[in-house]
Amino acid sequence: MSTKDPMETMTMLSSNTRTKALHWLGKQLSNQSNPTSWLDPLLSEINPMWVQAYTPARVQQVIHETEDTKTFVLKPAGRWQGFQAGQHVNICTEVDGVRRTRTFSLSSSPRLWKAQGQITLTIKRLPGGLVTNWMHDHLEPGDVIGLGEAFGDFLIPDPARPVLYIAGGSGITPVLSQLETMAARDYNAPVTLLYFVRTENDVIAGEKLRALAARYPALTLKIVATNESPDPRFLTGSDLDDVPGLKARQVFLCGPKGLMDLANDLLAQRGIREDQIHSTFFAPPAPARLEGDTGGNVTFTNSDVQVSSEGDANLLEIAEAAGLTPQYGCRMGICHQCSCRKTSGTVINRLTGEVSGPGEENVQLCISVPQGPVSVDV
Amino acid sequence: MKKLNETQLQELEQDLNAIRDDVLADLGERDAQYIRRMVRLHRTLEIGGRVLMPFGFIPPVFVAATASLGVAKILENMEIGHNVMHGQYDWMNDPNLHSQTYEWDTVCSGDSWRRTHNYEHHTYTNIIAKDRDYGYAVLRLSDDEKWKPWHALQFINYVLLTVLFQWGVGLHELETEKLHRREIRWRDKLPFLKEFARKGGRQAFKDYVFFPLLTLPVAPIVLAGNIGANLIRNLWSSTVIFCGHFTQDAETFTEEECEGESKGHWYLRQLSGSSNFTGGRWLHILSGHLSYQIEHHVFPDLPAHRYPEISERVQAVCRKHGIHYNTGSFFRQYSTVLKRIGQYSLPDRMRLRLERANTPQAI
Repeated sequence: MSTKDPMETMTMLSSNTRTKALHWLGKQLSNQSNPTSWLDPLLSEINPMWVQAYTPARVQQVIHETEDTKTFVLKPAGRWQGFQAGQHVNICTEVDGVRRTRTFSLSSSPRLWKAQGQITLTIKRLPGGLVTNWMHDHLEPGDVIGLGEAFGDFLIPDPARPVLYIAGGSGITPVLSQLETMAARDYNAPVTLLYFVRTENDVIAGEKLRALAARYPALTLKIVATNESPDPRFLTGSDLDDVPGLKARQVFLCGPKGLMDLANDLLAQRGIREDQIHSTFFAPPAPARLEGDTGGNVTFTNSDVQVSSEGDANLLEIAEAAGLTPQYGCRMGICHQCSCRKTSGTVINRLTGEVSGPGEENVQLCISVPQGPVSVDV
Repeated sequence: MKKLNETQLQELEQDLNAIRDDVLADLGERDAQYIRRMVRLHRTLEIGGRVLMPFGFIPPVFVAATASLGVAKILENMEIGHNVMHGQYDWMNDPNLHSQTYEWDTVCSGDSWRRTHNYEHHTYTNIIAKDRDYGYAVLRLSDDEKWKPWHALQFINYVLLTVLFQWGVGLHELETEKLHRREIRWRDKLPFLKEFARKGGRQAFKDYVFFPLLTLPVAPIVLAGNIGANLIRNLWSSTVIFCGHFTQDAETFTEEECEGESKGHWYLRQLSGSSNFTGGRWLHILSGHLSYQIEHHVFPDLPAHRYPEISERVQAVCRKHGIHYNTGSFFRQYSTVLKRIGQYSLPDRMRLRLERANTPQAI
């Protein structure tokens, strides 16, 4: 970058200043911290792809993969920054008036995005899942959803090294993206995929995987249906021992918690070091625990403070006990002075006894009691 | 205030909670669409007003542009800003409609408003000396406050306050009366004054510098129109707000009777200290549904467009517990406000003699 000519640097600087000045002016005129979204309510009526608050993405096609899994082909607006194989994105959509954010792995290869501007999300219906069920039932070609920038460090090793993937169920999605990318660039090292599904009918992208294995000789594919026989057939030590040169492999795990725990144990027994193992969780949130079982580790992200709490202390009391001074007012759930953003974890509303979702949402600190680990922007 | 015992207060609390729970359980698409429609209408009116204003050298266009911008400001302040900042739409999880981050189109900063209005006024409603919204420290509106000679001229204060309302609200947190009594020092108020200067400066820059300069040849017209729009908003919003707590039958409370109060008692105080006015659908929308001040004070964080729907049920609860539900036409309620301002500008002896003279003698 040091070879940039000075004129170019100057232009960049001045355009940067100009952007800043415009942003400042926008804030003065619109009173919004994100002035570009001031017109969104009107723009979204004219063309939802013009919305500025997030990157809009239009659904172009919906592919039925299995009984409970669909692949959504999306075309994000031009300003989307792209991704690397194995990364995730947050999508946001509105379900019954409430904006919901969820994280999914991208299942297509970055090449598809570069060539045709398309990305795919392969999504399984979760039992009781608000957003996945809504997407399955309502999202159709032509609809628009919001997209965040890609993130995650579940990435193809560079330079190439031998790889073992152990995937379960819809945990195959980031692996699909990586395998396609590897095949296209002729990734020069052995690659093995052990793919566990409940029944033969639950195989996601089976044809695509077999076609990949056929045209990309470095790939060894083994699909195991765990529940086809009366005795479940889970991952075994011999599955791993069958993998040539196991000790030299980078291992990528993606699947339900049971499979990941089992794999971690078996790999440790075989002397695979932790730094060789890369995991990404996709499992549905654990069901809410019983009432009375409250307290947990609370992380106040903006203040970089972490404390543990027991019993039914609310987030406001916990924050204050930790020496923080979040905004508050009535302390009885009326005035919303203390409302702030919860980024993860479950809380119980002390007034209603209602248990929150695990995701990002606004909570009133003074009536929210943590249930397990919670992070809030305080 | 109607006296209720602990059991009755508990019952009142349960009755009102039941209404609240029903609305909460029903929140969804309809509410989201409603507030977004209001936001779209606001954007359209504001853009319309700003674009038309430079053509204000044609008198009817000037009137239309000023009205359009004035109504835009009213909608944004009353139905959108005030209600969003109460957390009425927090459940939508939309960062642009969130109580903690919303900033509105008026001099008072969102943060200052959340402290003085959401917390002080809504928690200590009509408690003399604790609710600083009662008379805004410039008007004497009950005999809890001792009469002083300058109160005789308080009608002038009222006119000034209503004309310059956004600046009055912006400076509310300065607590001049406490500075005057030396309970606090100017130094304590420096952070607030900085915030006031930043937000007040921003508003003045926008309406009185930026847009007039942008249309330089017609700058005086644009400046006049923007002043007019702000004036329309000031007069209307102060009038609506005065009708909420200063009408004839709106009660006041003492600190002692509210010490360690229960939620039921808080509900009772909200019901007895607030007053509604009646009118058509657009009168309610333009008042931010503060025409349903009683419902608003009982349920400040329920979406305001729901107040008309639950009003019947709130009235039924009031009847059941024998609590007066204070409502009347806009003009009737407003005239009692003006009367109250006038009455309490007089020394108590003179006021009482006049009241006696005006009350028909019982036979």
